[in-house]
Amino acid sequence: MFDRIDPRSPTPLYAQIAGRLRVAVAAGELRAGDALPSVRALASQLRINPATVAQAYRELEQDGTVEMRQGAGTFVSCVPTERKRRDRAAEARRLVQEMLAAGTRLGIAADELSRALHDAMQETRK
Amino acid sequence: MTDAIRIRSLTYRTGREFALRGLDLTVPSGSVYGFLGPNGSGKTTTIKSLMGMLPPDDGTIDLLGHRVPDDVVPALARVGYVPERLHLYPALSVDETMRYHAAFYPRWDAREGDRLKRAFALRGDALVGRLSKGEAGKLMLLLALAVRPELLVLDEPTDGLDPVVRRDVLSAIVDYVAASKATVFISSHLVHEQERICDWVGLLDDGRMVAELPMSEFRAGVKRLRVRGASAPAGAGESAGAGLGAGAGAGAGAGAGATIATLPFRVLARRTLIGSDEEWVVRDWRPDMRGAFAALLPGSTLREVEDLDLEDSFVELLSAARARGQITTDGREAA
Repeated sequence: MFDRIDPRSPTPLYAQIAGRLRVAVAAGELRAGDALPSVRALASQLRINPATVAQAYRELEQDGTVEMRQGAGTFVSCVPTERKRRDRAAEARRLVQEMLAAGTRLGIAADELSRALHDAMQETRK
Repeated sequence: MTDAIRIRSLTYRTGREFALRGLDLTVPSGSVYGFLGPNGSGKTTTIKSLMGMLPPDDGTIDLLGHRVPDDVVPALARVGYVPERLHLYPALSVDETMRYHAAFYPRWDAREGDRLKRAFALRGDALVGRLSKGEAGKLMLLLALAVRPELLVLDEPTDGLDPVVRRDVLSAIVDYVAASKATVFISSHLVHEQERICDWVGLLDDGRMVAELPMSEFRAGVKRLRVRGASAPAGAGESAGAGLGAGAGAGAGAGAGATIATLPFRVLARRTLIGSDEEWVVRDWRPDMRGAFAALLPGSTLREVEDLDLEDSFVELLSAARARGQITTDGREAA
């Protein structure tokens, strides 16, 4: 699940981890009651600072994506469908912004990207 | 006591050459501190001084609250140290090496030693002299971790190791930190590894600290800007970044002229791109400066703010520091 975590990205690592988990919940990849790996296990697996993982989990707890049960671990909460829809929309927006920024750097205009996206969707449908 | 390591104005000479020139370094307790610098910048000399192996010519070193070198012994019992080079007896086996090492450390944890030996797939009867480079690296880390240290000092712990061993080594370090809340001080020139696990960064060049700050500030504050129509005074040019320094205050580089010098961020480097476009590398950038840019530098437009990864920042900070050094020694500082 975390194969796209990139320490070189401008997005801080904790935000990448929190974002990835939020999307996993919004897309149904993780369900209410599922246990997240312990801070120690995930940090060691990803070879990142444990404080970074703890910060990601705290952020997810604050926005209601997960709950931390003392001594038991961290579990996915029951996230309302409307919230999941908004999280998915936010992720879609983020992906598009990434694409737009890349286009700007290369001098490719937004409407060209839009056309290409449209074409690609047509091709996938076939 | 809140700092695991505190070094002030450390100077060390080898013959007439300076290896360290007034080095300041602070490692907060509980941090994972990445000590970065090019080869030959003085990282190993700093670590040897820290471990009491090289007496300072000037300055002070405090290690876990103990003054080094006079009072280093009680501190060393609480430090796990992985030196740059193998320091073990080749004729001893892995098990013998562990027993030998344990004798020097009252805090040695035999169970943890055995657990790590299994985790690293090291054979107890294997001779140290016959170990592969990767196995030797794991054994050295095992010896440092089984001491249950409050501070782990690692000098290039993954240098020369293959990617698989490197992962094992880093995982073991992270696992120990998560379990123990220990402080870690890692020297390396392998920037990408540091980027993952460190929350503090110290950047060394030519025996001096170029920059020392939390990783998050480092990542958030160093940017590459694309600026159009900046009307900087002639002569500012490449040296506009004279203001770089680990401490504040040097900001208004004398050669930079009025416009650049009064900016709220520091320009480390300026390059002309195509036409009137310029590329600036800046430090101390904040997102709200984007909107205020035109007001700060009338007539100019900020076309793009690009994030830099640690390696880019590292290279830019180094070259800016070196340019500044030359300006100072050449006496061309005044524009």
